Amino acid sequence: MSPLVSVLSSGRRISSDSGELLSDLLVREGIPINLYCGRRGVCGKCFVEVLSGDLPQADERERTLAKARNLDPGRFRLSCRIAVRTDMTIRIPDAAMIPKTRILAGGAGKDVILDPTVRKIPVRPRRPGLHSPHALIEGLKTGLGLPGLRLSPEALFSAAAALSGSPDEDPMVTAVLGSGDELRGVERGDTSSRLFGLALDLGTTTLAAELVDLGTGSVIATAVGLNGQAAFGADVVSRISAAFHDPVQAASLRNTVIASANALLSDLQAAARIEPNEIYETVIAGNTAMSHFFLGLPVDGLAVAPFAGIFAVAPPLPADRSGLRVNPLGRVYFAPNLQSFVGGDVTAGVTATDLPSRPGTVLFLDLGTNGELVLKTERGMTSTSTAAGPAFEGASISCGLPAQDGAIDRAILNEDGGIEVGLIGEGTARGVCGTGLVDLMAAFLRRGDLSPDGRILRPDKRLPVAPGVFLTPQDVREVQLAAAAVKTGIRMLLQSARLDVFDLDEILVAGAFGAYLNIENAEAIGLLPRLPGRVRFVGNSSLEGARALLVSGRERLRAEGLTRIITHLPLARDAVFENVFIEALAFREWPESPAQAQNPKEDS
Amino acid sequence: MNADLFSAMARAVVDGDAAAAAELAQNALAGHIPPAEALDKGFVPGIRTVGGLWEDGEYFLPELIASAEAMKAAAAVLRPALEAAGSTSDAPGTVVIGTIEGDIHDIGKNLVSAMLTANGFKVIDLGADVKLTVFLETAESAGADLICLSALLTTTMLGQRRFIELLVERGLRSRFKVLVGGAPTSRKWAEEIGADGYGESAPAAVREALALLGKVSS
Repeated sequence: MSPLVSVLSSGRRISSDSGELLSDLLVREGIPINLYCGRRGVCGKCFVEVLSGDLPQADERERTLAKARNLDPGRFRLSCRIAVRTDMTIRIPDAAMIPKTRILAGGAGKDVILDPTVRKIPVRPRRPGLHSPHALIEGLKTGLGLPGLRLSPEALFSAAAALSGSPDEDPMVTAVLGSGDELRGVERGDTSSRLFGLALDLGTTTLAAELVDLGTGSVIATAVGLNGQAAFGADVVSRISAAFHDPVQAASLRNTVIASANALLSDLQAAARIEPNEIYETVIAGNTAMSHFFLGLPVDGLAVAPFAGIFAVAPPLPADRSGLRVNPLGRVYFAPNLQSFVGGDVTAGVTATDLPSRPGTVLFLDLGTNGELVLKTERGMTSTSTAAGPAFEGASISCGLPAQDGAIDRAILNEDGGIEVGLIGEGTARGVCGTGLVDLMAAFLRRGDLSPDGRILRPDKRLPVAPGVFLTPQDVREVQLAAAAVKTGIRMLLQSARLDVFDLDEILVAGAFGAYLNIENAEAIGLLPRLPGRVRFVGNSSLEGARALLVSGRERLRAEGLTRIITHLPLARDAVFENVFIEALAFREWPESPAQAQNPKEDS
Repeated sequence: MNADLFSAMARAVVDGDAAAAAELAQNALAGHIPPAEALDKGFVPGIRTVGGLWEDGEYFLPELIASAEAMKAAAAVLRPALEAAGSTSDAPGTVVIGTIEGDIHDIGKNLVSAMLTANGFKVIDLGADVKLTVFLETAESAGADLICLSALLTTTMLGQRRFIELLVERGLRSRFKVLVGGAPTSRKWAEEIGADGYGESAPAAVREALALLGKVSS
């Protein structure tokens, strides 16, 4: 009869093949036991409590690991060291489970199981003696139980420094292992509880970062800052133009963005009290141009048709080549670019929202200077990008401002016909930012100051907003162009999938602009289709996706797979683009029959 | 009364009513009104009004396109009669237009093209992503008066400068007028590269083109 393993609290009774490792049995049953060191009995993370069962005594190493965790070595055993030969009853402490990191994405996220590409394992290397005069690194391999350990070139020097202490010192060291059992470095003492990673959303305007404890998956500090490249132009195209055929400017753009990232890192390190050397892994999610700038790769190909970047999937960069103030033995991974204008920020967003696995027909939409869209249907995924222009960032509007102090960021039409505006910060209104523009257009339309074709119906041809702040006919035209670009992207993606707007089960709107957008008003001007209850803001999904890619090697593989499975729809090359775009210029709600929108599936 | 007919023609263009424009053109032919007169006194004043409405912010792209379409419909009816009367020489000029190599955006260029056509120019539209040498060769073989170069990217607008240089190299600079346009361009840019004119918008480009070819209308 095969032995039975009872797992307490869950009440599960699992039949075992005699001699099977307990850890393998638990994994087979879908119990996420933490096998951090790959079942080598050296990390001490998979201790389970054995309540009954006949087991051989633990060896010296296992006892030492248990004591180091204040566990009774008689009761707590490493599940990767136990061969199941008799019936047994166990209890699995929470500490033995793989930690998860919560990806929020405005409620559209998921839990990602920790599967980091860098691990720290404390170990006592076997000391060389007269009878066994082996090299120090060979002793480390034996201590780790990893005879096949590979060394990265830098690790040789790191190991030399850490392993050649005097015989009087505590011989404990911590091995830093990358994926594929590659030794990245060796630190003195047990530093295994100090392993951190950086997730960085590299936006054209804003940088956002999270410092993550790679042992637990939790975020220990966050920071936001501006991209210093703004001095070279507000939007990505003007920065590409600045670097075009100009290596000096290109280098300057690179140094600027690295400096902005390092400023954030300083904030994070101070807030969390960690040292740069404790950060071994970084994931950067940015648009294609931003990742090229950061790497110092030429962007000339992105400047002219056919807009070809250098890479879609970049190999993890040795951190000492990145310019980031992190451990030089670490790695910097870039979220893969789908297309030249659908970059790693979108890939990260798709990862954070788990778009490929969402049920039904789902549109992912990142609103910025470039609108980036990914449509997921039952048959596959298609991306496109649409040149919305900088209107929603305030750049092409006469009284336009970025979302900063003094900018009107919201407006409502009161019942008495007055328009009430809301302001970022204190003081007087200096201008209008993107979300404010959307609100104002909707209010003026409702009040009859603006006709749906974009004409200002007031005799003075101005739309007064606040003292000294007004919108001109040209401003209205800019908003029309921006909204029409987004609307055209949505329509053409649906058209290419032979779907109707009613078929959309969900619209996920990412990005800072999206997060503060008034959905009613966005629908009123036709920027988004009116599909009540189906539009969801997912916040900075680029940053959240970067974190998923930081803590999980599996998520990286999936993300890299996206570059092969997501097809691309080039808008401008499509013959009907122009007609759809011109038609989309009107401030008009769509779909035209809201009744249908509420009962999409009954409409056929 | 012909005056009523002419103002109805202008109205049809302003309203972007292609069916009405075509019908009025038919009426003109049936009424033995010379086709050139129908154009000059009826439809062309209409498209000029449209230009003004654009400049005033009253009209936008959809209205402009509808008016250009109406103009096209009227011209299609009148063309055979115009050609029979041998009055094609009344065209203000022949234009070669396109969006420069490396640039695939061409809505703005299409609009300029449509408005030039509506204003009677003979227009050869080369489309988007057009090599500089193709502009030149086409202009030479067609005996064009004006070359319009559109660029929607700051990178491709550099091609406008190179084109002027190319004309100079080939000793053809005085042979053609060159008008540039596109979102990143400006009058300052046009002056800097030595272009003859700058079209800020489609109606402005028409105005500029007429002036360059000495066909200024009041």
